[in-house]
Formats: sequence, C-alpha cells, structure tokens
Amino acid sequence: MSADPDEELVRRVGAGDPAAVQTLVARKLPRILALAVRMLGDAAEAEDVAQEAFLRIWRHASRWRRGNARFDSWIHRVTLNLCYDRLRRKREWVTDDLPEMVDPAALPDAHPQEDAVRVERALQGIAPRQREAIILVYYQEMSNIDAAATLEISIDALESLLSRGRRSLQAILARDGADE
Amino acid sequence: MGKGKTMAEGSRNEPAMDAKRFAALAAAYGGDLRRWPEAERMAGAIFAPSETGQAILRHAGTLDARLDSYRVDAPDKALHGSILQAAGRHFVQRRRQRFWWLGLGLAGIGLAGAVAGLALVSIVTPEVQPDHYVLDANATAFGDASPDRDAIGEDL
Repeated sequence: MSADPDEELVRRVGAGDPAAVQTLVARKLPRILALAVRMLGDAAEAEDVAQEAFLRIWRHASRWRRGNARFDSWIHRVTLNLCYDRLRRKREWVTDDLPEMVDPAALPDAHPQEDAVRVERALQGIAPRQREAIILVYYQEMSNIDAAATLEISIDALESLLSRGRRSLQAILARDGADE
Repeated sequence: MGKGKTMAEGSRNEPAMDAKRFAALAAAYGGDLRRWPEAERMAGAIFAPSETGQAILRHAGTLDARLDSYRVDAPDKALHGSILQAAGRHFVQRRRQRFWWLGLGLAGIGLAGAVAGLALVSIVTPEVQPDHYVLDANATAFGDASPDRDAIGEDL
C-alpha cells in the first residue's frame, strides 16, 4: 500500500501541535462537509456531523495507527457512520410523526427546479449504499481501492453499486423531466 | 466485470480492452477516464477514440454533466472557527487530565514508597528480645516444682 499523505500530520495533531490542527481542518473540512451535505441533503445537519467528525479526530489522533485504510478513508468512514445515525433518526421521526411523505415538488413555494436541486433530490432518492459509492468515487474523487476500503467491500461490489446507482439516478432524473 | 477481483488488486491488468469492459467501466465510473481504476486507464484511453468508445463516453458524460451541477458551498468561517475552538478546548482538557494523572501517579508512588519503607523497616529491624527470661518458678516442664510434700513429711 502506498504511503499515507496524512500520516505525519495526524501524528502531529495527536501530539497537540496547534499548527497541525489548523492544517488538518483546512485540508479535511471541505471534504468532510461536502460528503455529509450530499449524504444528508441538509446543510445544517451536515455541519453538525462535520463538527462531530472532528471531535472524533481529536480524540483518536494520538492513538491513530494506519491499519488497512488511510486516514482519509478512516475519516470518511467515521463521517458516513455519523450520517447513517442521523438518517436512521430522521427515518424513525418521519415514521413516528408523519402519516405520509410530503412531496417537496408539490409545495407552492418551491424554488425553481434548477439542475443542482434535481440532482440533490435524485441522490436522496437512491439507495444509501449506492449514494455512498457515487459520492466517494465521483464527488470525493477517491480511487476505487480507497472507496472500496472505506465501504469495506470488494472492488466488484463497488463497481456494481456505482453502476446501479448511476442507472437509478438517470431514471429519477429522466422521470423528473430534466433529461435532455 | 472482473470475477473474483480483490480489493488489493484494484483492477485488471490486461492491456487490451473490449467494448464490454469499456462500457462497464463507463457505467460505473462515468465518462472521465481520470476516475477510472488506474490500471485500466491506459487501455481505456486506447479504446476511447473508437466509434463505440466515443458513443459510450458521450452517454456516460450526459449524467456526469448533471452530477457536476450539484456543488457544495465551501465551509464558512464560523464552522471553521468553531471546530478549531473545540480542538483547543479538547487539547487543553487533555493536558489538564495528564497533569491530574501525573499528580495522582506521583501521590501513588509516594504512598507506595511509604508502605514499602514501613515494610522494609519491619523486615530488617531484628525482633527486640529481652535480655533474660524471667521464668516463673512454677512454669517448668514438670509443673509445680514446689517442694514435695511427701519429702517434707519424710523429713519429719
């Protein structure tokens, strides 16, 4: 396995070096926040997840040892787990309190359906595992090896999730009337 | 799709690529070869200019363009600042905890030293023996060693 570009930085963070802390936040926060926003489709919740993810980093940095995955894969896994906790809670809340799902497209005050909004909604409409795979490979620009390690699946399984995810996205976007 | 491919392998190694594999990769990774598995990019680039290759990439590129439209704003300064503040609090608290444990450890070492010292003193110091035994005149192996009454009687 190739060298981990974050290893030395994480070691310094573990030693409590303030400059290393700043560098790590500058390097990882945009990635972690983007991952959480796309997983949850909710910017405020994504910010909470990002803060929690960094707390985990501070707690574990001094003990972090590279096993099978790079630090970037580890923090992606942590962030995804935090997102899943919130998605579960949201699902329980929706199941408990709302008798039926509300279609946001039907709301009279809905913003004009821009492409980004359609894609965001389409992403929320596919299976979470497919969403994870697409976000990691497409948006986070992870290699297939790192994405598979993060998801703890084989490369074949990753490619299957990606293909099915892209097909589902295409179908949803076509239904949404946005396909050209 | 490659059968039985492991995570460590990452991708296939064969240099040539057929339309089926090319289409499978485009369906999974999209139309930008930079996102494809590193080991298959070269073979993909060789196949890409073909008519079939171009058609496959065009199809995949349509969805890519849609996905690219979904951008996420950069983190704002407030979030950045609150994460750094939380880090500061965490490391200060950790230092305090370390000092606390250090103090507790030193106290423990001191206590252990005191206990060990006491134990050593009790082992090394010989048991204080009296200079002589004061024997009870009656405490003999034969019990009462007072003059024998019978003997007295005989004397009489």
